[in-house]
Amino acid sequence: MSAPGLAGRHILLVEDDYFAAEDLATALDLAGARVVGPAASVDQALDLIARTSRLDGAVVDINLGGAMSYDVVDRLRAQGVPVIFASGYDHRAIAAAYRDVPLCEKPVDLQRCARLLFGGDRVPVAPGISRPGPTRRAD
Amino acid sequence: MTEDDIIGIYAARQKTLADFGDFAARHDDLDKMLHEACRLVAQALGTRRAKVLELQEGGGQMFLRAGIGWNPDVVGRVRIPMTEHSSESYSIKCGHPVTSPDIAEETRFEVPQFMRDEGVVALANVPILLPGGIVYGLLQVDDTKPHRFADHDIQFLRTYSAVMGPLIDRLLKANALRESEERFRLTVESVTDHAIFVTDPDDIITDWLPGAQAVFGWTAAEAVGRPGALVATAEDRQTGQPCTQTQAAARDGSAPITRPHQRKDGAQVFIEGAVRALRDPGGRLTGFVRIGRDVTERHKADASLRTLMEGIPQLVWRSLDRGDWIWTSPQWISFTGQSSGQARGWGWLEAVHPEDRDRVMLAWDQAHARGGLDTEFRIRRAADGAHLWHRTRSAPVRDAAGRITEWLGTSTDVQTQREAHDRQSVLVAELQHRTRNLISVVRSIATQTMAGTGPTPAFLDRFNARLSALSRVQGLLSRSDHEPITLPALLRLELDALGAREGSTIRLDGAPVRIRPSLVQTLALGLHELATNARKYGALSGAGGVLTVRWQVEEGATGRRLVIDWQEEGILHDPAQGQAPDSGYGRRLIEKALPYSLGALTTYHLGVDRLDCRIDLPLERPALAPAMAS
Repeated sequence: MSAPGLAGRHILLVEDDYFAAEDLATALDLAGARVVGPAASVDQALDLIARTSRLDGAVVDINLGGAMSYDVVDRLRAQGVPVIFASGYDHRAIAAAYRDVPLCEKPVDLQRCARLLFGGDRVPVAPGISRPGPTRRAD
Repeated sequence: MTEDDIIGIYAARQKTLADFGDFAARHDDLDKMLHEACRLVAQALGTRRAKVLELQEGGGQMFLRAGIGWNPDVVGRVRIPMTEHSSESYSIKCGHPVTSPDIAEETRFEVPQFMRDEGVVALANVPILLPGGIVYGLLQVDDTKPHRFADHDIQFLRTYSAVMGPLIDRLLKANALRESEERFRLTVESVTDHAIFVTDPDDIITDWLPGAQAVFGWTAAEAVGRPGALVATAEDRQTGQPCTQTQAAARDGSAPITRPHQRKDGAQVFIEGAVRALRDPGGRLTGFVRIGRDVTERHKADASLRTLMEGIPQLVWRSLDRGDWIWTSPQWISFTGQSSGQARGWGWLEAVHPEDRDRVMLAWDQAHARGGLDTEFRIRRAADGAHLWHRTRSAPVRDAAGRITEWLGTSTDVQTQREAHDRQSVLVAELQHRTRNLISVVRSIATQTMAGTGPTPAFLDRFNARLSALSRVQGLLSRSDHEPITLPALLRLELDALGAREGSTIRLDGAPVRIRPSLVQTLALGLHELATNARKYGALSGAGGVLTVRWQVEEGATGRRLVIDWQEEGILHDPAQGQAPDSGYGRRLIEKALPYSLGALTTYHLGVDRLDCRIDLPLERPALAPAMAS
């Protein structure tokens, strides 16, 4: 199932919660993306960025076990890698210098993710992956 | 000797006396006068030699101060000890003239060796007395051949020395006065950090000392003859301040000066000192002397400090030990409406909220030992009677020996911060409340979903239990600001939820180790899984097992680690049942999620009759966990 915008893309995933990371990794995988990571901490993420030759985009949680992930965003922006935040935080909780980073509120809507990262139109969601947008998929 | 001869001798001696008197009247130098005295007396008596011996202080020796007819190394050099047997001691003791026509035949005394060396054969001594009978020394005439001194010679010498006494006395006193004046002048002129000048009764400058020039800039030539108000500022001149000062000095003897003054270059200097009235022995005013110190720098520093202390928004005060206030800034006075007198001592406590007074005094009691004071209390604002929270801090001021001389303190309005903090606490509480509400909404959605998808009670049961665990831990987290979360607290929370208590079958063993809030949620969910499993299949299922949770903190290379051992013994594990149906989630949580999210090392081993689970996690900071394979 090809996913315009995500298929074939190398996406860095930075998320400290194991189940959230695993769910999102699975969803990205099913959408045809190559998942780099996931990384659970700032150090780990920086290490992965240094070791990975190709990165097309990144989905980054803001709070990693109590530490803010701004260093990771800095490094990605310096390398020209499109990045979005995936977080339960409100815009106002984000440091002013990072308010221009697109924010995808949790639970993450993969289509919105793809749109924010690559301007793609829509991304099919694999059946059985429970990463719905909050207003859709009632039962 | 004819009568004419005698008249000639007397006339010559009268002339000698007159010449000497004349000389002495015109010269102020004692040595010159003594030399001339020797020259004239030797000439008058035809001895060619004469000398003046000065009795030295203490009376132990005589100094050959002046002489005529002697070798150059004698006058001004020779000192003769006052021995028992010398002619000099003998003359002074007798108090009247002593003559020796030929010292070779002398038996009354010995003649000093240097005189013999110089060929002295005859001599005549006469003491010189100062007014009051004080011995000054000896006048001595010597001859190198035997010389019988006639009575009229002796009478002449007596007259001569009687004239010399008062003249010597006058010069000695003049010298002493000159020396003391010189010392005084040198002293006063070397004082350049004090401006000193003298004015006459009309306050016209008569003496302008170097210190005055150094401080004010005018030279003596420029200043002398001008009014003392020369150094006053324009304002002071206008208000007649210099006149007020001299009047006060004339009335009271002296008057303090503590004012800015004007330099020649127009700059202002701040002078501290006094003006003193000068009076002659009859009490008549002869003028004024002003002595002042340039304290401009200190005055500037004082003024800056005062400006700072009175300008900052804090209420500033000074205190002795235990809150015994000695000074309050105008800010305190305007805020509390107390006068500075009312605030002194412990009067300031009146402005403190009654409920806070004990705490403040307790803080003061401990301030000495703690080396400082830092406390918060409410101070009553006079304007509206409101009590506003202030943070009060004070540091001791110590002297050179390190003893506390006083305390300097400030009270800062922290009402706004406290209100903001209170509002924040309310917001945090509200947020936690909403989170927990949200969880219950999720729970009902799950229930409703179940109603739609068909009854699967096992799912509902597990799901609700996990949400409840999540909810409980939110409660702990919401209070973590005030109540640190500890491992035993987390364990008891989970066990209580299952209705289990510590006792013979449940043992908890370890210190109340504090858990960082960012670790709490995941660790609590892990413990919940272990507890739930124990309740269903293990030591808490009522089938006779024992649960022991033992933990300790270990120092590792990367910081402190908390090692938790969860052991269930004597459990009847049913191999047929295998792992619990939901053990997939629980084990993944422990074996995957804890290592991934918390950097923990975990082992989970289920044996035939026991379960051993170890969770070893870093306490200090988010650790570098191995990246999860995707």
